Amino acid sequence: MADFWAAYQSTLGFAMVNAFFALSTYAVLSAGMLSFATVTFAALGGFLGAQLAVHLALPPVLVMPVSALSGALLAYVVALLFLRLDSHWMALASLALVLITRVVALNATALTGGVNGLSVPLSLPLWVLAAILAVICVVFWRLSASWYGIAARAVREDAAVAATLGIPQRRIQTIAFIISGAVGGLGGILLALMLQFLSPETYFIDIAFTMIAAVVLGGSYHWAGAIVGAVVFTALPVLLQAVVPDFEKVANGICLLLIMIFLPRGLIDPRALRLRRARKAPSR
Amino acid sequence: MMSAPMLRLEGVQKSFGGLTAVAALSLEVPAGCVAGLMGPNGAGKTTVINLITGLLRADSGVIALDGAPIQHLPVHAIAARGIARTYQNVRLFAGMTALEQVMAGSYLRRRTSLMASFLALPSARAALRMTRRRALDLLARVGMAARADELAETLSYGEQRRIEIARALGAGPRLLLLDEPTAGMNAQESEAIGRLVHTLRDDGLTVLMVEHNVRLVSDFCDQVTVMSFGRALVHGTPTACMADPEVQEAYFGRKEDAQRIRALR
Amino acid sequence: MSLFVEQLINGCALGSLYALFAIGFGLVFATLGILNAAHGTYASWAAIAALAAVQRLGLPFPLAVLVGVAAGGALGVAVDQIAFQPLRRRGAGMLGALITSIAAWIVLDNLAGVATGQDSLSFPTDSYPGGMLHVGGIAFSTMQLITIIAMLAATLGMHLLVRHSRFGAAMRAVGWKEQAAAIVGVDPRRVVLATAFLAGAASGLAGVLGGISTANVSYSLGEGLMLKGFAAVVVGGYDDVRGAALAGVALGILEVMSAQYVSTSLRDGITYALLLGFLLLRPRGLFGGTSFVRA
Repeated sequence: MADFWAAYQSTLGFAMVNAFFALSTYAVLSAGMLSFATVTFAALGGFLGAQLAVHLALPPVLVMPVSALSGALLAYVVALLFLRLDSHWMALASLALVLITRVVALNATALTGGVNGLSVPLSLPLWVLAAILAVICVVFWRLSASWYGIAARAVREDAAVAATLGIPQRRIQTIAFIISGAVGGLGGILLALMLQFLSPETYFIDIAFTMIAAVVLGGSYHWAGAIVGAVVFTALPVLLQAVVPDFEKVANGICLLLIMIFLPRGLIDPRALRLRRARKAPSR
Repeated sequence: MMSAPMLRLEGVQKSFGGLTAVAALSLEVPAGCVAGLMGPNGAGKTTVINLITGLLRADSGVIALDGAPIQHLPVHAIAARGIARTYQNVRLFAGMTALEQVMAGSYLRRRTSLMASFLALPSARAALRMTRRRALDLLARVGMAARADELAETLSYGEQRRIEIARALGAGPRLLLLDEPTAGMNAQESEAIGRLVHTLRDDGLTVLMVEHNVRLVSDFCDQVTVMSFGRALVHGTPTACMADPEVQEAYFGRKEDAQRIRALR
Repeated sequence: MSLFVEQLINGCALGSLYALFAIGFGLVFATLGILNAAHGTYASWAAIAALAAVQRLGLPFPLAVLVGVAAGGALGVAVDQIAFQPLRRRGAGMLGALITSIAAWIVLDNLAGVATGQDSLSFPTDSYPGGMLHVGGIAFSTMQLITIIAMLAATLGMHLLVRHSRFGAAMRAVGWKEQAAAIVGVDPRRVVLATAFLAGAASGLAGVLGGISTANVSYSLGEGLMLKGFAAVVVGGYDDVRGAALAGVALGILEVMSAQYVSTSLRDGITYALLLGFLLLRPRGLFGGTSFVRA
């Protein structure tokens, strides 16, 4: 049992950190936007937080709010610039932002340490990570039931109809971006604390694709889907490595493909649950 | 009885490509009135509703609410001025229950800040409870209270139409635009919608409805405008409009048909 | 002066690879509404296939290119039918297809790694026209000339097909709505298959030519093309073949020139800064004028 715990401790840690990225991605997706910008928010939060920890010797308790805030601020700027684009272009633009992030990370050596990377002299116990994730989950849960949550769903399902009900699409989507930025920035510093080393490659396209995949796999219509997706997506390669050692990534891709084809709305789908309930209890 | 117009359209023009959908339309709907908008298919009735709500932009002309022009405002700002609508082919939000639809419609009536919702403050919870109660009341008003927690897309067409009316009412509008509210309903259900519209008017709401059902228009509308090829053909009381030979020609195609339809009533 | 002209030709040749990648990527995005993350792997596999044709079958250069192009096209169709068709039937939208394309990317990328033994292979020097050409004191390689001509031919062909043929009208119609294609009188399924094939073939052509001229046949070939070709799509506009091609060439020239005259380390930075500028100032690309909204 102790061996098992030791072996899977880091997987659990990464699963939780990935859950932050997935929630950040979910935040924009739930307002009807496909954006890869989470990676950029995470990079800012991660590098800035790490620098504060290195140079000002700030404890994690202070570093994390700064990372979240910086992510939120950046997200606000991104929202101002990107929300003028229509959905297809926005997806492309956010992907381009990820590419630019890497170039900036490579060249802004004062902030990122450039190609040499950056050691992070702090660490975080697993239970603290779990506690932070739990708090964020409560916030997402409360939000989903609030007027914001319902308005965001309305915008996602039919932005034109939502507008005729007085729901301003841009405002809702700006809020979504800010939430995404805060959670993404927080995830960025948490990843830094997990890895204890950052390089420009840490925050790159892999995170973007992995997180979108995790959200859609888990189910993009409920915040819990992001968590489930992140856990499955982190654990799957580890488990597959034990089964098909040399082809675990290939098997990973095939699993993803099969899940998407047979469960296109993801593992957690509130609509399907409601439909099933409606079928079971004929009320007429 | 006729007070100052709540809604006024003046010389409103809209064309798609070379096709004129609405040509120099002028129209007035007095406050506290149930106005009907009739006309054969393709007359431009739904286009008018889209122009008023801002989903389409007029090429020229003025659309004014209580005397203030609104044709330049963004869609959500027009809604915030007090205009709500339903759709010809029901457009409910996928995956939402009947209650959630109405709560989404209540966005303009929210009473709590985002921060309060974030922190799950008691005030936010109380406000949410109130929104929910109000939404349930509105569902009860359209006779859908028993279906509040059901997925709207599993309900019948007529039921969905009524939920859509409740959703529009959620915004607390002063002017309600109904686009064929009784399409696909039987006589009894249509009658119920007509009565509902009357109670809404008695509560101070102004209603403009696109309607094909001649009987419903005659029984429940205070005034009627008949459109044909994007123009207003006749304007007046339902009885006067129906009797107009030009209307009969345009609307029913041939005068004999019109007579036959009247005989059928 | 001759250095400048030679670098210009180098840039054109490099940019032609980006352009070939971009026109296929943009075509799929505009016609099928799919942001295809697997598009770069077609290039890797086309290069691998062409190399196998040379080494195992001893095929001459033109036939090897043809094999690579066909492999790219076939892979495009296969990925479409396996990863996208099931979702299309359910009307799952853009997001689901993006995820399955990521899945296809993961699978094909890793299999490419296995196929080349995690190594970077190269074409034997006698398997392609490797000579240098000299015109008025300016030297450039035959492969560069071939690459540029191939890009021009592919762009022209694709442009004529999309804009000036009945089939192209159907392709644009599918971009709006599948039923619309049926109205034009073309089976939407055929349009989908043809689009997937053409896009894959263009990517495959970029892969074979790029694999030869960069002496790199591996999974990283496709990834490199993806990163720059994607920039070309954004700058050029995904719904216009000419725009994507022109932007690809321009980016290639910019890359070579900034490495020559500015700094090697800022090379990618300049490309992506330009990309960002375009996104914000001209969000619909060079030729994008009209709104492209999906109903």
